[in-house]
Amino acid sequence: MAPKAITSPVPDSLYPTLSVLTLAIGLVLTASFFIYEATTSRKTRSLAQELTTGAVASVFLGFGSLFLLIACGVYV
Amino acid sequence: MLRFALTLLLFTLAFGVLSSSPVFSDLILAKVDRRIDLTSQIVRITTSLKVENAGSNPISEILLSFPENQAKHLAYLTATLNEGKGKGKASSGAGLPTEVVIPKDVPDSLTFYSLSLPKGLGKGESLLLDVLAVFTHALEPFPEKISQADIQLLLFQDTAHFLSPYKVMVQSLAVKLPEARVESYTKLEGTKLSGSELKYGPFHNIPPFSYLPIIIHFENNQPFAVAEELVREIEISHWGNVQVTEHYNLFHGGAKSKGEFSRLDYQARPYVRGASAFRRLVARLPPRAHSVYYRDEIGNISTSSLWGDSKKTELEIEPRYPLFGGWRTAFTIGYGLPLRDFLFESDGKRFLNFSFGSPINELVIDTLIVKVVLPEGSKDISASVPFPVKQWQETKFSHLDLVGRPVVVLEKNNVVPEHNEHFQVYYKFNSLSMLREPLMLIFGFFFLFVACIVYMHADLSISKSSASYLAKVQWEEVQATVQQIHNIISHCLTAHDKLEASLRDLSRTGDVQACKATRKSVDSLLKGVSKDLKPLVTFLQSSPQAAHILPKVEELIAKERDLQERLMAKHTTVVDCYEKKLGGREIENRIASNQQKITSLRQEVDDLMDFIDEI
Repeated sequence: MAPKAITSPVPDSLYPTLSVLTLAIGLVLTASFFIYEATTSRKTRSLAQELTTGAVASVFLGFGSLFLLIACGVYV
Repeated sequence: MLRFALTLLLFTLAFGVLSSSPVFSDLILAKVDRRIDLTSQIVRITTSLKVENAGSNPISEILLSFPENQAKHLAYLTATLNEGKGKGKASSGAGLPTEVVIPKDVPDSLTFYSLSLPKGLGKGESLLLDVLAVFTHALEPFPEKISQADIQLLLFQDTAHFLSPYKVMVQSLAVKLPEARVESYTKLEGTKLSGSELKYGPFHNIPPFSYLPIIIHFENNQPFAVAEELVREIEISHWGNVQVTEHYNLFHGGAKSKGEFSRLDYQARPYVRGASAFRRLVARLPPRAHSVYYRDEIGNISTSSLWGDSKKTELEIEPRYPLFGGWRTAFTIGYGLPLRDFLFESDGKRFLNFSFGSPINELVIDTLIVKVVLPEGSKDISASVPFPVKQWQETKFSHLDLVGRPVVVLEKNNVVPEHNEHFQVYYKFNSLSMLREPLMLIFGFFFLFVACIVYMHADLSISKSSASYLAKVQWEEVQATVQQIHNIISHCLTAHDKLEASLRDLSRTGDVQACKATRKSVDSLLKGVSKDLKPLVTFLQSSPQAAHILPKVEELIAKERDLQERLMAKHTTVVDCYEKKLGGREIENRIASNQQKITSLRQEVDDLMDFIDEI
């Protein structure tokens, strides 16, 4: 069977755009997390909402920082 | 060197007289044409042999012999069968397998290589062979030390008769010299020097193991770039890049420089003062190379140029100073390559197909170390190289690594540009392992968020009964209550909006029943609201901290109730008017005063809500 060339899962030219997008979404979610922390009082705070916002924000921030590293030439 | 040659000559002549081994007399070399290329620092000897089987048994291997002192400089040996008839047709197909053998009954100071023929040579048959032998450090500078103005003269010693365990019928030797001065050469009968080509022979009926030494003393100004050690690191990242980093330790391998170096003389007349020095090196990188850098311990070296097309990328580098005999320099070259040109997948295994030697033209490497760094999580690693190398495995810790990346290290001595063939490194890799890196980053960020949550939830006060702590707790309770009131009031306001919307729907569709149904549901909702608000207000009245916002909250509740009643009244009026089928003008007149009050009340309620929100 003829060897098939392996490429990266995401086309190379898309890395900078993707990193800006995911980092923007991640930072917006981080901002909403901190706003929630600042405006609610101890009684009305809900742990579930805090954890979900934190989890989703960290997923976007994680992928965003990975794509940022790759776009800058640090191929991790 | 001369003494050695003379003893060898005497020995072989004696040997040839005393015995003739039966094994070797089967084959006869009918025609041997040797071409020695001395135009660069690497000596290339191309020999075309016509082998005839004069014995009765089919022959499956042919022996090539080299004197020991020449064999230790041998870097590359390849032999191919020449299928075409006549000169000019290039030999096709892969090289024949060669290996070192030690046959019996042979002189001691010879090294033998055995070529295995794919199909045996039958009785009376003949075939054509092309043998290429590449030698490094075979040219000796003589004189060994020269000054800047002297020319570099080199000594090359070889044999005019082809040294072989078989009898040679006809042979000739042609030596190609560089376009420069030939100081002296051994003159035998029939020797001709025309231009830069020196011809010896033809010699007839030479017995086996015959050695006739010749010495050529000539000038060669080609760059004698020798890399003492070259470390090539090839790092694969499945995110789309192959990064190559090469660390060079170069020196000039020709006649050593003595005396002073005059920069003025060199720059004014470089071809007279410093003809043997070299300034530039040219490297051929694969096409689509990017992010090329050239630096050394001091920093970036800017004297370089790069241009590329679809077949190659050419990098011309100029070290910080020209290299004279014996001078050294060390630098690093790095470049990135797209992954799809070099990494392939077949039969479930991935493999990297990459070139083994250095991309710099005509570079002799004394020790070459190639390190292939595979991504973390690679298993079943094996390397397949077309020539013998020393291999072992190491680990390298790089970005985002937990256990380190496996490294395949290949080491070879005496490497010449002919070794720039492709080698393969096979390994197995699960594509899901690529997710390990973003998952590490995600957990890192999540840990920060969790730390923040823990900090906000943790009660770090030391004394639970101090006045300030109690005051803080009470204030938080007040805040919570006010927020709950705020939420309830916003529910009421949305109910009001629903009422207004139903009125608009009524004016559009005329559906009275739906309108009435909406009013009923809103009514019940608002009744429940007032029940909820009562305990919250009582709590606020009892707590001392809420003193300054209590009046505002009560005002808000009162205004909201007023608004509620007026809205309900307006709604009832409009529905009645519709049932009585009165005109639009009538409806407006009846609700005019109410409407004004409603809008102003709504405005005040909104202001109060904003105020409460901000405390």
